[in-house]
Amino acid sequence: MTAKAHETHEVAGANEPSHGRFADPLPRIPLVWGPTDFDQLSDQIAGITEQPQPNWWWPALLVTSALLLGGVLAASYLISTGVGVWGSNNPVNWAFDITNFVFWIGIGHAGTLISAILFLFRQKWRTSINRFSEAMTIFAVICAMVYPGIHVGRFWYAWFMFPLPNANHIWPNFRSALLWDLFAVSTYFTVSLIFWYVGLIPDLATLRDRARSRTRQVIFGFLALGWRGSTRHWRHYEVAYLMLAGLSTPLVLSVHSVVSFDFATSVIPGWHTTIFPPYFVAGAIFGGFAMVLQCMIPARAVYGLSNLVTIRHIDVMCKFILATGSLVGYAYCMELFIAWYSGNPYEWQTFQDRAFTGDYTWAYWTMMTCNLIIPQVFWIRWCRQTPWFVLLVVTCVNVGMWYERFVIIVQSTSHDFLPGSWGQFYPTWVDWLQMVGDFGLFFTLTLLFVRFLPMIAIAEVKGVLPAANPDPFMESEYLKVNGQYPTADHERAAAFGAPRPARTEVPESPEPVPSFLAAPGGTGKPWGAIAEFANPHDLLVAARRTREAGYQRLDAWTPYPVHGMITAIGRSRSRLPLFTLAGGLTGLAVAATMQFYLSAYYYPIIVGGKEFRSWEAFVPIFFELTVLFAAFFTLFSLIGLCGLPRLFHPVDHHPTFRRSSLGGFLLTVEAADPQFDPDRTRGFLESLGGKHVAVVEG
Amino acid sequence: MAAIFSRSIDAQVRQTAVGLVVAVGLFVVGWYYYALPSYTRVGYQPEQPVPFSHEQHVGQLGLDCTYCHTHVFESPHSNVPTAQTCMNCHNPKKANVKGTSSLLAPVRASFDTGRPVEWKRVHKLPDYAYFNHAVHVNKGVSCISCHGPVNEMKVVRHDQPLTMGWCLKCHNESEKSLRPVSEVTNLTWVPTAGQTREEIGKAIKKDLQVNPPMNCQSCHR
Repeated sequence: MTAKAHETHEVAGANEPSHGRFADPLPRIPLVWGPTDFDQLSDQIAGITEQPQPNWWWPALLVTSALLLGGVLAASYLISTGVGVWGSNNPVNWAFDITNFVFWIGIGHAGTLISAILFLFRQKWRTSINRFSEAMTIFAVICAMVYPGIHVGRFWYAWFMFPLPNANHIWPNFRSALLWDLFAVSTYFTVSLIFWYVGLIPDLATLRDRARSRTRQVIFGFLALGWRGSTRHWRHYEVAYLMLAGLSTPLVLSVHSVVSFDFATSVIPGWHTTIFPPYFVAGAIFGGFAMVLQCMIPARAVYGLSNLVTIRHIDVMCKFILATGSLVGYAYCMELFIAWYSGNPYEWQTFQDRAFTGDYTWAYWTMMTCNLIIPQVFWIRWCRQTPWFVLLVVTCVNVGMWYERFVIIVQSTSHDFLPGSWGQFYPTWVDWLQMVGDFGLFFTLTLLFVRFLPMIAIAEVKGVLPAANPDPFMESEYLKVNGQYPTADHERAAAFGAPRPARTEVPESPEPVPSFLAAPGGTGKPWGAIAEFANPHDLLVAARRTREAGYQRLDAWTPYPVHGMITAIGRSRSRLPLFTLAGGLTGLAVAATMQFYLSAYYYPIIVGGKEFRSWEAFVPIFFELTVLFAAFFTLFSLIGLCGLPRLFHPVDHHPTFRRSSLGGFLLTVEAADPQFDPDRTRGFLESLGGKHVAVVEG
Repeated sequence: MAAIFSRSIDAQVRQTAVGLVVAVGLFVVGWYYYALPSYTRVGYQPEQPVPFSHEQHVGQLGLDCTYCHTHVFESPHSNVPTAQTCMNCHNPKKANVKGTSSLLAPVRASFDTGRPVEWKRVHKLPDYAYFNHAVHVNKGVSCISCHGPVNEMKVVRHDQPLTMGWCLKCHNESEKSLRPVSEVTNLTWVPTAGQTREEIGKAIKKDLQVNPPMNCQSCHR
């Protein structure tokens, strides 16, 4: 077997000059270590959600939900009494609430970075961690979104933030950074949720097809929308995923930029700087990666995922933390330098107070230590590759990032222009309880997530398994050069064992497969013929031969998108991007119409001395709605082009068909094909080496 | 192996989806129709302790609004008359119009004791909205613009929604509602021949320098 059909080679055997233009100087270490193959991978990941949880899970859930209850109580007390129960008061009117809001929004950045930006850069190691980080993104943004809801005081008026037609005939101020923030955060949440769900669909199908109980079958059956791994669907799916990644990439950079505008567009010393957007984005990615590691390292240890989330994954994430931490540290120093160099006395006295003389120097130096100094240990390999040590460092980073927001928000407002209005902030017990409650909410959702959903993207990892890109190697020479492991990483990877070669035989069917499968309530006519093949390569060859034999309406059903399969079944690239484009243009048109009409004609009001139609301040919402509509159009066109939901399909009656979402590779020829003849087609598929061949009733 | 779902499931899912969309659509439409003040406030017509008929007093007898609501041109607040005003005619010892009517008993009691008749309030703005009657009527906004054709009401009812959006609509295009100040309380006024309401309104807007504010703090002070 050769791997020439595949474009990527994550695994190289010995030095093979045939790989691309340049030979790898060293054997390439696979992304997944050990002998894991398709079925084992499904077992390993889906099994976590199917078996009883380890003993610590219930006590952990008890603790986190107790914390969550504290948050609920604090919020209820706040709503029933008023925002006065918080310590926020003149001069520090934004304190724990906005600190926590910005902290959680920041945490949410790693997920989309990993799932979108690393996807565009073809960093395939992301497949092991993207699901978990995307889930964390969503949970963190939920934690953040609590605050805009409750800090308005009368939360039943929170809908005032949205541009909804109402009896007052008033609309939000589209020139306000706070409104941009609302649009940015809700767009980010929605698009992240869509991205997460689209990524989950094939894995939900895996869970459905493994399910033994009727309840699980029905729940995951509905959630998977009838996904069966059809190549006709994969061809839309892959493009939709690419579109969503493309949409999320500017989005992830924009969200924290917009959050930073909340501060940067005001004139408070310590806030009014142009460095804020890049500095906030770097900080968000920094904190986000820290939180991913904070949750991933324990989960990896408890659920035995070290073959998937390898030490090299942790190593790379630590490098991200080092890079972004240094960016943030640079920003801290530059902020301080510019405060002095600008000659602006207000700016400089605020920074002197912040760093050297004021009440909050302790918080400032905690931030500096945790964010700038401590992560520098990641220059050392041992520090990056020792999970317990990484856990210690990322805990410091999380603390430091919370203090960063605290310092920016509280210190700046506590010490502005007028000495007469200087003052300190004193948190109340409600502030503390609310903050603790956020952590409760976050970790409760995380615990439920690892319990009920696959925490690693099964279908995506299948695509990077050594079994998906088979390469010949000698067992004794695995990852060695001249009988020696070239690096410690090679030795570590090899210790997990060599990859198992793709299977060459189709496993037995659990029940005999008759040549004609009658389906209850059917039409009596055949729907088509099904054959199972042992591995992706055999299926690819079979599909090509079927096309060559003149069949038009064939489909290949695979657990992950197999390269070359789309052309093998006679299809071309999906036209789905046209829908994405249409969505983006619609969103832009909606945003432009809404803002110009409402701000310049319907209720013209002067803001900041600008002309009514000055468009510059409308740009953030142009962008947000463009992305939001494009993402929705992408989702709905994916569902529509694939004809989902299709919960029932005649092929479901085939005894081994549900392997298509686990480790099976199936080919179907439909009866609608002019060449179809039940007996001849069945014989043809058998002649290609297909097993369990049957004609199913339509 | 049996399929998880039956053959008819997809049709059911589609029907449910369509049903949900229709239900949500109906809810939104219903909400906008039934939950806004244009439905909840308009038409409020409480039974008053005395069945005073504006139709009779204004429509038939031709009393001017300011005969009872005396301060409306001077005060931000338009007063409800005391029993003394009623007793100009209904006092059994003076004009004695229906002086012994049992329907007027609460008015007589109020006149004797000095305790006001407990009228039920029909038009009420929230505390946070500042409204000045004098400014409006002195710039040519008629009573009828906000209170409706009171001269035809046997029992006073809430005629206009009095929402902020409704206020702003008039502030945006005040020329449509202005009339000569002398005609403000003339509820049956029609424009003189050859002129449209809007032309008159524009002229008055210019003469009286009517410049209705659109900023928040005009009303939310």
